[in-house]
Amino acid sequence: MAARVAELPAELKYIQYEHSLESQYLPAIRALISKDLSEPYSIYVYRYFLYQWGHLCFMALDPVDSSLIGVVICKLEHHASHSPPTRRGYIAMLAVAAPYRGHGVATVLVKKAIDAMAQKNADEVVLETEETNIPAMRLYERLGFLRSKKLHRYYLNGNSAYRLVLLLRHIDPDGHEDPNGAADLSLDDMDTAPR
Amino acid sequence: MAQEEASVSQEFTGLSIDHPVYCYGQPQPPPVTSEGVIAIDITRNFLDAAATLEPGQLVKDGYFTLFESVGAIEIMDPKMDSGCLAPDESLDEDYDVTRPLLPAEVLGIIDQLLCLEMAWHLGYPLSQTLLTNVYIEAMLVPNPTTIKEADFIRGEGPRDPMFIVLRAYCLGLLKACLHVNERIKYEHYYEEEDFVTTTYHRSLLENIDDIEIRDEIMAAKRLVHSLRPKISDEMADALSFRLELRTAFLRAIELAELRSHWESLSLPWSQMKAIWEPINRSRHLGTPVPEAFSTKLQRRLASTMPPRPIVQPSFEETYEHFKKFFADGIDLLKILNYTDSQSLLNFVVTFQAQKPQPLVYIRTLLQWFLIQDMVVLGRVSIRQVLDDDLSIVALPCSRLLDPANDEVEAPHDTRFAIAHQMELFRQRVAPSYLDIFKALCQNRCRVRRALCHAIQDWETVQMDAEEIDQLLQVQLEEKPITYDGSTPAYSIPLSSWAYLYKVRLMEWIVQLGFELETYQPDEMAGMYWYLSYLAKTRAKHAERIKAFTVQRLNELRAHPFSNTAAMEATFTTSLSYLRATILDATSTLELADALSCLYTVLGRLRLIVPPPRPYSSDELRYEIRMKPFAPISLPRLPSYDNFVRLSAQHETSTAGLLDFAQRAVVNAKMGYDVLGKMGEKEAFTANAHERWLAGIKNCNKSGIAINIAVAAIRRALESGAAKEGGMAPGEQKVMVELPKPAKSYHEWWIVPKIVEKKS
Repeated sequence: MAARVAELPAELKYIQYEHSLESQYLPAIRALISKDLSEPYSIYVYRYFLYQWGHLCFMALDPVDSSLIGVVICKLEHHASHSPPTRRGYIAMLAVAAPYRGHGVATVLVKKAIDAMAQKNADEVVLETEETNIPAMRLYERLGFLRSKKLHRYYLNGNSAYRLVLLLRHIDPDGHEDPNGAADLSLDDMDTAPR
Repeated sequence: MAQEEASVSQEFTGLSIDHPVYCYGQPQPPPVTSEGVIAIDITRNFLDAAATLEPGQLVKDGYFTLFESVGAIEIMDPKMDSGCLAPDESLDEDYDVTRPLLPAEVLGIIDQLLCLEMAWHLGYPLSQTLLTNVYIEAMLVPNPTTIKEADFIRGEGPRDPMFIVLRAYCLGLLKACLHVNERIKYEHYYEEEDFVTTTYHRSLLENIDDIEIRDEIMAAKRLVHSLRPKISDEMADALSFRLELRTAFLRAIELAELRSHWESLSLPWSQMKAIWEPINRSRHLGTPVPEAFSTKLQRRLASTMPPRPIVQPSFEETYEHFKKFFADGIDLLKILNYTDSQSLLNFVVTFQAQKPQPLVYIRTLLQWFLIQDMVVLGRVSIRQVLDDDLSIVALPCSRLLDPANDEVEAPHDTRFAIAHQMELFRQRVAPSYLDIFKALCQNRCRVRRALCHAIQDWETVQMDAEEIDQLLQVQLEEKPITYDGSTPAYSIPLSSWAYLYKVRLMEWIVQLGFELETYQPDEMAGMYWYLSYLAKTRAKHAERIKAFTVQRLNELRAHPFSNTAAMEATFTTSLSYLRATILDATSTLELADALSCLYTVLGRLRLIVPPPRPYSSDELRYEIRMKPFAPISLPRLPSYDNFVRLSAQHETSTAGLLDFAQRAVVNAKMGYDVLGKMGEKEAFTANAHERWLAGIKNCNKSGIAINIAVAAIRRALESGAAKEGGMAPGEQKVMVELPKPAKSYHEWWIVPKIVEKKS
């Protein structure tokens, strides 16, 4: 692991991603995120997010050479598998280069992403994190996320995950079409049916 | 994001990558002429259309999901494309399966196979476990249709004795895997979460009879015996035990299908348990043959999965897992000894609460035993189980449960109406009742999630039951009674029964939240308060049922002629069930109260400090946390303000809260002590009494731990090491540690530890 920097370079630049930055930053984004994955995502997955929700992606850049230090990638969609439907933000990927960790870079990135999603009328923001990833859980819980459920053996390595949820506004349960029916409490689509 | 999503393997039916077209040399262009097909070359159109796109522009329709996009791979990226070869790399493993093997090598291979078999049981796919072995690959490809073909080397010719031993072992292993896989697929489980059932179009000796395989293993054992002088007694024993393990496993599987008497079914499990120790002791005799295992074999599997490493637990881990597996197998079979519905429930609850949880095969056997074609444990009808349960919980010797009602044919007869309504009721509740058992058979995370759904179902069960209750109370001309000094009320036994279950499920959801580490430290005070509220509801409700039951018993005793010993016994059973329930609920509420007070104090002393949470409010978090309970009308979820008021207890002093916590522990202990002295008949824990009793003892130990924490807080307050309203971070002399559930006396009672700060 690379040695950590004692102090951050003065004032990192935080910028919102846009499609025109693809050739400049996509390779670096992929490299940064792939480092922590046992299996890389194909370029299609990155484009799936970045092309549709580039405005929910933020990058932390070195102020001197504009190289990539950290990135957060999100999406925001209607979530209708349970009633009432919500506008659900999803933090898909978050990474900060090892030497720059421990200085709150990830927190700034996540805050920017939440702000952007809130501005786009998100009702809630969700994500999954590995049960062993204590720093990530601490980061999100400090911002106000709650562990809503544990997902058994969610990752390829056999580790479980927690679903973390941040509710941005009260969701009116009267949105339920049938308050006595089997209102789905779950936060994902595959809750009851065996996969 | 989960990476599992990357493996999209199931859909390629019929597409085998070991088809020559995909394997060797330049791929041939697909045939473009065929009857009834007019092929049009669209290369030009495609290139023209693509030229109008800019790099990185996404082309997809509105239904293309993230899940599907994660399945995309990049051809020629060695991390994603399993067919991508490094320069000079050969496509296939060049291991020679015909090479002679030493006995020690055969032992080494078998022991590695044991580790991989366990990895598969633990949830890793065959592609990363058993199907990485070259001998297994050689045996399965091409698919053998006769026992003779099921060999590493096909065709006639003499076989080296060590070959015969390894082959017999592999035959037994693969056939066991087939049965295990089929059983799991048949029951409710979660693919890729609990287990991966795909065999990548490999048939695990499906066409070959178990008996033939057992004969081969027997023959191999005889062969090993004859080789004793040559290979040493030690080695012969080591190989024999491993072969014996395979025979016993196949036998255990075969017998389990019968669901008959537990003692006869447990024999092969006991054998496996006994053999496992000498197997463990003899593993030093083996010589590993790592080259007989290769991830290159994944290329031959029908899957688009990227290359993935072999998953192999150490032999020490494998030893522990199998040991537990065999012990669980033996324990599980005791469930077949049906005594009563509540013991059955307690069996499942305590069996599944074990740590580590029984492996998925054991859990699917549990399901298989429990319910099949509406028959419980292979011989008890759902009706009998339900009627047992209704009788135990709320309706001992009730006219509602009299089987004679079914014989009445006169439509105006009350008994006819009762039989009809009760049948409607049973049909309504049976699926919901069985769902509780099914939910409890899942992994712990899923148990909690399934129960969140179940309580909504039971909400409607309760309402429907109440309607039937009202119809029946007219039929029975029931007179309302006054109990507890309140207004006269009817017994409404069916909805009472449903309500008792619903509240218990709600408690389990909260308790599993502690077990699964779902709550943050500053949520503990509130969640234990809510648990206590639910337990109190259950205790009160059980008291209500008891009042009606006692009333009926007194009526019965007032008519000595109609009172028989059998009826007295049925009432006694029900009253002892209610007694155990009330004790359990009150002990739970007391211990939960104690912890709630303790955590509230820790908050006041700022020993537990909530994080800043700039994006959230307490009320919104309450909304998420209590979401499963919000739709429940009874007991209604307290409003946020009430919740805060009742759990924060501002009107009570800190010293008062600590006093209260200590008293609550005393009360809980009294309850647990009485429970702990109960036999399995009074506690309704037949076949599971030891496990249940261990749980009760651990609850009591949790109480002791609470007392220790309370005493430590008092000392800290007296010595000035902690202060009301908190102290500056530097001054505080004590801190709080929350143990992991696994490190607690009981997973449901997370007792904080007060420790002195190291200066």
